[in-house]
Formats: sequence, C-alpha cells, structure tokens
Amino acid sequence: MTAPGEAWAPETVAAVQDAVREAVSTRTPMRIAGGGSWLDAGWPVARDARLVRLDGLRGITQYTPGDLTLTARAGTPLRDIAEATAAEGQWLALDPFAAADDGGSIGATIATASAGPLAHALGLPRDTALGMEVVTGDGEVVRAGGRVVKNVAGYDLTRLMTGAWGTLGVITEVSLRLRARPEVDRTLALAHAGPAESAADAAAAVHRAAMAPLAAELLNPALAARLGVTATGSSVLLLRLGGNAERVDSEQLEAGTLADTAVIDADVWRALRQCERSYPGAAVVRWSQLPSLVANTWRHAVQHCAEIPDALIHASLGRGVVRAIIPAAGAAALARVLRAAERTSGSRMFDGQRIAERLPAPLWSAEPAPTAGDRLSRRVRLAFDPWHVLNPGVLGEGAHDIGDHHDRRGS
Amino acid sequence: MEAVDDASLVRSLEAIVGPRGLLRHRSELAVYTADGLPGYRKFPSLAVFPASRAQLIDVVLALAEHDAPFVPRGAGTGLSGGALADGVVLVGLNRLRRILSLDPDNAIAVVEPGVVNAALSRAAAPFGLYYAPDPSSQAACTIGGNVAENAGGPHCLKYGVTLNHVLGVTAVLSDGEIVTLGPGASGAEPAGYDLLGAFVGSEGCFGVALDVTVKLTRSPQAVRTLLADFLSMDDAARATSAIIASGILPAALEMMDGPTIRAVEASIFAAGYPADADAVLLAEVDGLAAGLDADAGTIERICLAHGARTVRIASGPADRARLWQGRKKAFGAMGRVSSHLVVQDAVIPRTQLPSVLAQIREIAARHRVTVCNVFHAGDGNLHPNIGYNAYDADESARVERAMREIMRVCIDAGGTITGEHGVGLDKLRYMDMIFSPPSLAAQCRLREVFDPARRLNPGKVVPIHSCREWTRRPS
Repeated sequence: MTAPGEAWAPETVAAVQDAVREAVSTRTPMRIAGGGSWLDAGWPVARDARLVRLDGLRGITQYTPGDLTLTARAGTPLRDIAEATAAEGQWLALDPFAAADDGGSIGATIATASAGPLAHALGLPRDTALGMEVVTGDGEVVRAGGRVVKNVAGYDLTRLMTGAWGTLGVITEVSLRLRARPEVDRTLALAHAGPAESAADAAAAVHRAAMAPLAAELLNPALAARLGVTATGSSVLLLRLGGNAERVDSEQLEAGTLADTAVIDADVWRALRQCERSYPGAAVVRWSQLPSLVANTWRHAVQHCAEIPDALIHASLGRGVVRAIIPAAGAAALARVLRAAERTSGSRMFDGQRIAERLPAPLWSAEPAPTAGDRLSRRVRLAFDPWHVLNPGVLGEGAHDIGDHHDRRGS
Repeated sequence: MEAVDDASLVRSLEAIVGPRGLLRHRSELAVYTADGLPGYRKFPSLAVFPASRAQLIDVVLALAEHDAPFVPRGAGTGLSGGALADGVVLVGLNRLRRILSLDPDNAIAVVEPGVVNAALSRAAAPFGLYYAPDPSSQAACTIGGNVAENAGGPHCLKYGVTLNHVLGVTAVLSDGEIVTLGPGASGAEPAGYDLLGAFVGSEGCFGVALDVTVKLTRSPQAVRTLLADFLSMDDAARATSAIIASGILPAALEMMDGPTIRAVEASIFAAGYPADADAVLLAEVDGLAAGLDADAGTIERICLAHGARTVRIASGPADRARLWQGRKKAFGAMGRVSSHLVVQDAVIPRTQLPSVLAQIREIAARHRVTVCNVFHAGDGNLHPNIGYNAYDADESARVERAMREIMRVCIDAGGTITGEHGVGLDKLRYMDMIFSPPSLAAQCRLREVFDPARRLNPGKVVPIHSCREWTRRPS
C-alpha cells in the first residue's frame, strides 16, 4: 500500500492492478503517465488526481525479427524500440510528433493515438497495434487481440483502447506490427516560391505524380526557417522516399519536375517532430479532413493563424492533417482564433474537424469537447471505468458528466 | 420456432415489407439454413427482406417492439456460421444494394450494406479506382458482410483489411436508435473512442449497417505476378519467411499445397499449376513501375535459392487472372473432392510456418484425414481445410479431433483462432483457448454497450457463459 498522495510507480501488471483497485476503493482519480510527453495535452485531469508512473513498467518482452512483430511493456520508450529494431533493419513506423526526445512511451503513443510523418504511408496507431494487455477500471487484467498480424477473434478491444487516453483502462503491454526498413531512404526538400496560402495546391501535385513517398510534410515559411531548410523564406515540402534504388531515383527525378529539389539529411524529421518541445507552453491545434482536400484545409489553417506571429504550421499530406504550433506569446491571438467560427475560407467551406492537442490551461474551458459526449461513448466509459477513476476529464467530459456517473453507480 | 407463432410480429413485418418480402415456410427458409461453411444447418423462424433503408429501420423497430432476437445476413458467403439464425428472425440485407455515392476526386464511396464487393470495384474502375479488400468470395459477398466480419483477402498483406478501408458506418442499433460511427465522408481523422473500429468485425452483434463509407484505392501503375513451384512445402514456407524478411512488401503472397493444387487442376478453375508440385507460391508486387522488376527479380532469386523448381512471371493480364482464379476458387474446387469441408482460419507468427505446417501434416496422417492447405502465407493466415463426409460418423469424429489438435498447435505457436472469417458459431468453442474469463467478460461488456438486450445475432462470438459473470461487479 502506497502512502496517500505519493505517485504509484508499478513495475508489474499486478502492481498496476493493485493501484487501480486502491483507486477504486478510495475513489481516487488516477493520472496515468508514461514518458510524460503528453501530460499537458488533453483536458486537465481532476486536481486531486494521483499520478501513476508507468516508466518502471518497461522492456521488450517479445521480438522475433522474422515475424516483424514486437511486444513491449507500456512504459518502454520509443527510443528503446527504435534501437532494438534498427539492429535488424526494421522499424516501428510510429514517429509521433512531440514525443520528448523519443522518450515518449509506446503505451502513451497508443493510448493517445499519436502519430507523425510516417503515418502518411504507413498508418496510424490503430493500424499498427495488434493487441494489448490493459487493466480496466474495475481492476481486471484484460488481453485483447494478439501478436499476429491478422486477427478477428472476438470483439476488437484493441481498437477501442487505442486513442481512449487511458480512460477505459491502463495499457500495460502492447503488441505491434513492424516494417522492414527500405533499402534506400532519401529525404528531399522542395521549395515553394509562391505565397504560403497556395503552397498546398502545389504540394497536391505529389498526389498525382508517379511517386509514393513514405512521408510528405509541407512546412510554412516560419517552420521551414526554424528547421533550416529554406534560405529564401519560402514554404518547403519535405518528402521521404523509400524503396529500392531504381524506384527512389525515379521518384527523385519526378519530384524534380515539380520544384527545385535538394537532398537533405534525414535528421530533419526528428527536428520537425521535436520542434514544438522547444516552445514551453506552446499550443497545438490541428485541423483534419479528407487528404484530397488538404489544400483547402491548409488554406483554412493559414488564414486562421494569419494574425498569430511565429505560428509554425505543417501539413501531413497523406493524413489530410494540418497542425499549427503556437508559441506561448501568441496565446491571446490564439484565444481569438479559437472563438472564431470555423467558416468559409478561400473558395470552399472547411467541412472537417478542429482538435486542440495542447492549450494553455485557461483556454481549455472555452474549447468544445470533441469526444466522449455521445450516448454510446458515455456508456462505453461507464462499462470500462464504472467509478470514473481513470484520467477523469482528459477527454473534456465536464463536471456534470462525472457527477452523473457517480449518481448512476450509487457510490 | 416460437417467433413464427407470433402472429403480431408477422403482421407488423408484412405491413412493412409486403407479403413478398417475408419468407415463412420451411421449404423457402431452407435456402437460409447455411452459409459458406458446410456442416451447420439452422432454420430461422422467418426471414424478412427489407427493400429500402426506411423499411430496414422499421423492421428493426418492429423486432424491438416484439423483443425478438434477429440475425442480419448479407450474401451468406461467410465461413464461420456467423449469419445463421437458429429459430430466430433472419434479416436479409441483399436488397439494399445501391451505391449511394461514388466520389472519384476524393476516392470515397458510400454504399448500402448489400452492395457486392466486386460490384463496387467495377463501378470504381472507370475512374482508375478500386475497393482494395478482396475476399475470395468477392464476386458474391457484400460490403455489409465484409464490415461485420472485418473481411480480409489475399491483397490485405499490403493494403490492409476491411478496418483500414472503412471511414464510417451509419448503423441502426437493436433498439432502433440510429448512430453514426467514424468520420464518414468528411474524412477527418477519428478522435475520441474508436467506436467505428469496434463496430468493424463485430459480426453483426452490435448493430445493422444502413450505409458504409469506404475509401477507394488508386489502381497501381504496374503489377507483376509470379508463380513459384516447390517439391517441398517446407522449402516454400522458408521462401515465404525470406521474402517477408527481405523488406519487400508484396501485394499478396499466397501458398497452396499439393492436394489443393491437384483439386484445382482437376476442376474447371485449372490455372496451370504444376500438378506434381508439393506447393506453389503465388506472389504479386504492385505499385510504381520504377523498381518493380527489381523487386520481382529479388523474389524470384529468393524462391530459387530456397529450392523452387521453376519461377514464372505472368505474361499479361489474362495470364495473371488465370493464376489468380485457381487461388480464389480453390475452396470451390475442393467441392469436387468431398461433400463437406471444414475450413480453418488460424493465424500464426510467420517464422512458425515450416514447423506448424509439418505438425499439421503429422496430425492429418495420425487421424487419417486429408488436409488441403491454401492460405495467405505472407500474413501467416492458414486455411488448413479438411474435406470429409458429414454422414460418416467415424470420419466426422476424426476430423473434429484433428481440427482441435491443429488449432492447439497454432495457438501454442503464438497464434490466434481466426484471421478473417470471424468466430461465428464455428470457432466459439476455441475462444476459451485464447482469452481468459476477464478478457471475454470485457468483450461482453462492449457488446452490451451496443446491444444491452443481446438480441442481435444471439449465441455468436463470445461463449454465453462468459457473459454472465461480469454483471456481478464490486460496488
């Protein structure tokens, strides 16, 4: 039994189970933490929550390179997985934005469904997780899915837990699909001379071109300058090409027909993923709709952020996602942006979704909760976290919902 | 058969779909007593066939009012007994077969659940698009059924299963509530609980799809199909592992063993496989034309290095189609060999292929049954099938014992009991072998979020005894 108020630091599944049971019996909300990368993302969790640190629950428990699958405990840093798989010419194609120096944990990556540039071609966490072990909100150890790459046995709790932000269970172990690293891995920077607003129109030409990059990220001039990939203050499209030499050479030639092209160091990807961490207190907002409409989404985001100095904006073309990183100094302008309705911009309506990934604490209250509000989601929550002890509030469910929960359980 | 006697339900349903949309007589219902898996025969109490979305919603509401359990059914090509209605109402969805929209610019389509998989690809073809998941039954199976089963197919090795191609589902739940799951045509990335991910593969136990929004895939610039034949299945299995480890991700990598090859070659689906081979590998690479021949060359070299007798590359689309026809119709070809067929669908870690295939051979010999292996080697998704005569009690018992042992071997190798066919009725007895009681109870909990009364497709997927426990919760 841990002293009240002290963080739980379980190093085994049984200890996680004990912690959840203790939380239930004392009605103590838990704040679940892996590497700590995403603790300031999502809505603030109840103030009296007690921290559960999973960084002691770490280690790769199964890795047979020929199977291209790997199982690791939830607190295992992505860095450890990257090292183990690189030695075999493989990788886990999950490279989330903002994971602290790759110290982000695999459990949190899956729990938050965080992705990065490689999602352009290689999928999201929901496409990569094969199975998991979780401790649900009633303290049961549940296994979902398996370790094989194809599996339809039973209802899909793996998809349910992926992206649930730990509100349905504490993920303790994850099995993942790996990929063989491409024979050639080359990064290109394509400069776009025109106005930033129209940069995505040009980038959309990539969709039509004879190329299939592993990643394609468009950077606005501020971000391109920050990463040192523009000398002229232009927007830049980063492409990551992978495959055999003949294919990559051919794609590079094709890219050359679209814009001025330079081969650059692959380290730019790490720099891009890490850059928001060098702005403490930065807000991150993302817009998303169909990838084919990414030029429209880009224009929309760029116009919305027009009044925010130093907004760093990038688009993940294959995901149809545009993210804006707004340094703390832009908070006041950001508040205006968040209040402004998502309305017509450019030639057509933005019909997608805006999600706040990170906000300064005072701004959260003004943000509409995008999730967990519908009847089914509330029932899912009640079924898996009946006492509402798992990260309460992190999905933006309000005080009313929590009270409602407790009333219904008669606790 | 109690529902048949429920005159009030029959009157309600008939008022919705008309007399021609309702089947009540045993002789008419006989068609609906089985799916694609021979060996089960379950009579529904009646079968109702709504002709429109509005009729389907009204049917579900009427069933709710009468507290009547029911089973949704697409084309009935499933291989797990999942769409069988045992004395309850069967709701046929095959009249809901309109493609509601096809947006080539955004490569998405919205379809009714009864749209046939191949029909969607045909409709998309003029735009250079197709629907990627390609179960072998694609000429008949429906998108609604594919969603229910999270269907796979040979090309899922590279392109992913149904889950990876569905953007949204509008579904009617058993109580008549209509819910929208997933982002749908807006294409926004999912946020919040992935209820769409949970719905796909829920085997008709969570709700009935009214429409499904799917991603379409751009047809590849080029395709190369290779056929390698081996005098030893063990060599073919090792070649498979080597291809996967090489870093090339084939669009498909399929294996057929000697008995399957001979069944195919003796049938109208003869594809020109060498009849004396112990195994053939059918490998396909696709994508950009640049570099594709180099990948095909690498696969050829790997096969030859692992003992392939010959490797040939399909000369063109017609040759390729013929090679594929043999594979896709292999289950059908086995119909010539025996009256009944047990179809297994286990998945194993890919490095275990040689060892597991050898153990399957040993089990088959010991129980004096003939196993035909035809499977998705690249995924490790086995289909060890046994042809038999269900009216021969001794043979049936031997087949059952052999199958149970084969499943045990696959699970012990780190595998699972079904990769793409679903649990349905047929794999229900194996669920306890891979999931603990709390894990099964958690699945029940999810099901009851969608269908608290458990009226939808009752008795499938999770053994009923697992669902009783979880309601006993601490307080």
